[in-house]
Amino acid sequence: MSKRYNPDVDVPEYKGRYAPYDILKEGTIALVVVLILVLGLAITFGSPDDKAITLQTWSKADPVDFATTAFNELNGTSAVAGYGPPYNTNGTSQHFGFISPAKWLGVHIPINTARDFVVTPLESQPASPTLSRALSQWTAATSATQTSWLSAYSNVSSKASFTGDQLVVPAAKDGPVPVMINTLTQMARSGALDQALETSKGFYTTDFTKPLLFLSDGTYFAGLAQKGHLLGTQWGMMNETDSYPGQAWLWLYTFWYQVSPFNTSTSADFLVWGLMMILTAVLVLVPFIPGVRSIPRRIKLYRLIWREHYRDL
Amino acid sequence: MSLDWGLGALINLNHPGHYIHWHVIDVSVANLAVMVLMVAAFVAALFLPFPGRKHRRGEEE
Repeated sequence: MSKRYNPDVDVPEYKGRYAPYDILKEGTIALVVVLILVLGLAITFGSPDDKAITLQTWSKADPVDFATTAFNELNGTSAVAGYGPPYNTNGTSQHFGFISPAKWLGVHIPINTARDFVVTPLESQPASPTLSRALSQWTAATSATQTSWLSAYSNVSSKASFTGDQLVVPAAKDGPVPVMINTLTQMARSGALDQALETSKGFYTTDFTKPLLFLSDGTYFAGLAQKGHLLGTQWGMMNETDSYPGQAWLWLYTFWYQVSPFNTSTSADFLVWGLMMILTAVLVLVPFIPGVRSIPRRIKLYRLIWREHYRDL
Repeated sequence: MSLDWGLGALINLNHPGHYIHWHVIDVSVANLAVMVLMVAAFVAALFLPFPGRKHRRGEEE
């Protein structure tokens, strides 16, 4: 029994004329045209030229915000400190129902914000009697004492100011905390903190994980992103800095972040990624989906493209 | 060592961009321009004749 002809998957034998086609010539022409376009556009428009934001930039531009964030890192109340896997176990990882890849993979970039962002960088500083005394006091103290110092500092930190190149905080029973935070702020302003966090795994490194996470905990970086229309809530994924066009092809990916339930979900990144993976699978499988695979044949756009051929038939 | 040879772009786009906001849509003018160009290129590809088509057809006949 012969198989029934299916116009979506079966191809009738072509019995018409054949014409020569030079794919190398066409490819070369396309390459030259694209090269001219790329060079022309590069000469005309250049490229984005925003300077990298570092901990030094931040602490110089807004030392109080930096100091507040540094305290949150020491106190364990920053976003990174409570994020969960892959950095720590202090938070719930992004998930959908029981599907939680970050939790399954566990803590594989361990970060203790108090130790990694504050104490260890301070220990790398050249010995100064005040700082050494403060660090000894901090490390020798019990957890309860540290908590009482942090609590006392927390009560006055909202009145912090930066005057005379020093962080000024009202007096409180906060032990070594003001010295630690002030020294870390000075360290950041000199550029030494960027160096300490980048090189914590060796002399040469391109691992910016720690300085970026620290930066993300403050309000300064988010403020700059908002100004540049780069936040997730501003379709930022498809935008470039300044007036340059960005990644317009990411429109669908970033669209989901603007609508419910993704715009209110704490697992938005995972949910949007999952949805895009499903939609990508659907796109890849179009030739196997009845109805959808018939759309090109039914809308007959191909007859417009190959109109001369169909005119001759 | 700086590799800045003093060459600048003819049109400087290193200044704050302009954005069009409509309901949930928020798109930069630069992105919109690229999208319009892409659609224009698609439409042109549909309707413009293939270059050299007449010549090739002449050869065949």
